[in-house]
Amino acid sequence: MTEVVIQPAGFTIDVDPGETLAESAWRQGYRWPTTCWGQAECMVCAALVVAGETATVPADAAEEEAMRLRMPRHLRRPESRLACRLMFSDDGAVVEKKGVRPPPDPQTDPEGANT
Amino acid sequence: MTAIDDDLGAATGVPGRGGVPFPMRDRLHVPRERYFDRGFYELEKRSLWSRTWQMACRLEEIPQPHDFVEYEICGRSLLLVRQPDRSVKALHNACRHRATQLEKGAGRLAGGQIVCPFHGWRWNADGTNSFVYGASGFAPECLRPDDLRLRECRAEVWGGCVWINLDPDASPLREALHPVADLLESIAVGNWQVRWWKEVVLHANWKLAQEAFMEGYHVPQTHPQLAGGLSVEDFPVDQNRYDAFDNGHSSFGRKLAGERYTSIETLILGGQLLSDGQDAMTLERDLTVFEGFRNKIQPGDDVGAAAAEALRDHAKGAGIPWPEGLEDSPLFFGGEVFVFPNLFFLPQYNNCLSYRIRPHQDDPEWCRFEVWSLTTYPATELRPRAEQLGRFAKDDSEHWGLIPMQDFSNIERQQAGLHTVGFEETRLATEWENAIGNMHVELDRRLARD
Repeated sequence: MTEVVIQPAGFTIDVDPGETLAESAWRQGYRWPTTCWGQAECMVCAALVVAGETATVPADAAEEEAMRLRMPRHLRRPESRLACRLMFSDDGAVVEKKGVRPPPDPQTDPEGANT
Repeated sequence: MTAIDDDLGAATGVPGRGGVPFPMRDRLHVPRERYFDRGFYELEKRSLWSRTWQMACRLEEIPQPHDFVEYEICGRSLLLVRQPDRSVKALHNACRHRATQLEKGAGRLAGGQIVCPFHGWRWNADGTNSFVYGASGFAPECLRPDDLRLRECRAEVWGGCVWINLDPDASPLREALHPVADLLESIAVGNWQVRWWKEVVLHANWKLAQEAFMEGYHVPQTHPQLAGGLSVEDFPVDQNRYDAFDNGHSSFGRKLAGERYTSIETLILGGQLLSDGQDAMTLERDLTVFEGFRNKIQPGDDVGAAAAEALRDHAKGAGIPWPEGLEDSPLFFGGEVFVFPNLFFLPQYNNCLSYRIRPHQDDPEWCRFEVWSLTTYPATELRPRAEQLGRFAKDDSEHWGLIPMQDFSNIERQQAGLHTVGFEETRLATEWENAIGNMHVELDRRLARD
């Protein structure tokens, strides 16, 4: 299991081996923005790896191709990755993504309205 | 043979019992139109494929929760979805909004969500709706939860496979599989897993394609390399016993199981032909085991029994499951089981060759023919998710062994030959080809139902 820090919210998400960041977040009840849910179609889950790039598994050809084809050019940066494809080999990566929300707190949010 | 002496209807070409066109008038002749007539094919779609238990996928295709695979039969598409509790649901693959097919092929439901690619409506893995975009713009009567739920299809798990039946009122799977389920359990059908899986598209009716595998009568002519150097005149035709069962199922196997092997050399040679010729049934692993006891066999020893013992010892040492009495199964040394309407198992030792045949592109004269090599792996071995290696041409010797290439070649020639002027019906051997008539008689029974 690897620890990944999500900015600007400052969460730490534990990601299982072989699991993508977005799937790990969804599994643990976080809201990670998406429209296509893991199909590498919508680009809504895209994030920036702002530190610890060596702790990430590099993008494969399919992920690169999806970003090249579908991500508006003005949004794409060298450190862009699709969270629905992003996996980790080590602790220490820092990923920037706005709009990630934590799992609902059963104390204050019994209905899960925050999700 | 459990012959059922019933009234099989009128003469060929005249609708018989229940209005079935081109009915079976006996078990010895098959009217040729059953293999190409559009009306007959449409009746099969309506009364067979929509109402029969059929193998939809192997469990190894969807090993993890939220794995899914699509199953297509005659234009109907279903999603087999592994649930978090490891059960499997079969969901009709259409958005409840405007009918878009939700998924294609195989994959994983990331976040446990089935997502419509059109307007983003979503469902949980169990088929309950989880999101409607812009719900405030719909009349409440359009968004009743029960109506939004993905339609579910009957699904049951048996023998390492998921089976579906599009008929909600169908009787239980196990009833439909009688009596071949018991036979296959004797050889531990549930322990097999995919080694490889390939497909060929054949220019032949789905029934015609599979009939080639219901008899061993074709072996010396179609597969001369398996005849041990004997000409067809000299090759013994009565080595197999053929059993035609209720419900259209059938089986054949060697009359004398272990005793067929007069020497260790014939066992190894026969195994090599199967291993090289189709990479299934006998595997390299088994040949290594046989080589290991080649020198320990004395004249007069029961070679079959010695082979079984060596395989069992090897399995136990390697952690491969070996149920008590596996070697006593009538299928242990090889045989065939046909599961009506379109699935075959050809087990040997703790391996199996398997076929599934389906109509293709809504054309009675084309079919998809899938081939699996299955085996029993050590209980602790982590296997990758099973994926089809691909669709390969029938004469692609890179991807098909000699044995299947020989079979595929004859099947297409047979379909072409059916259109010959003056050819009315096939004629079948009572002793060697009874499984074919048995399948057709069961088919007529299904087609005649209300």
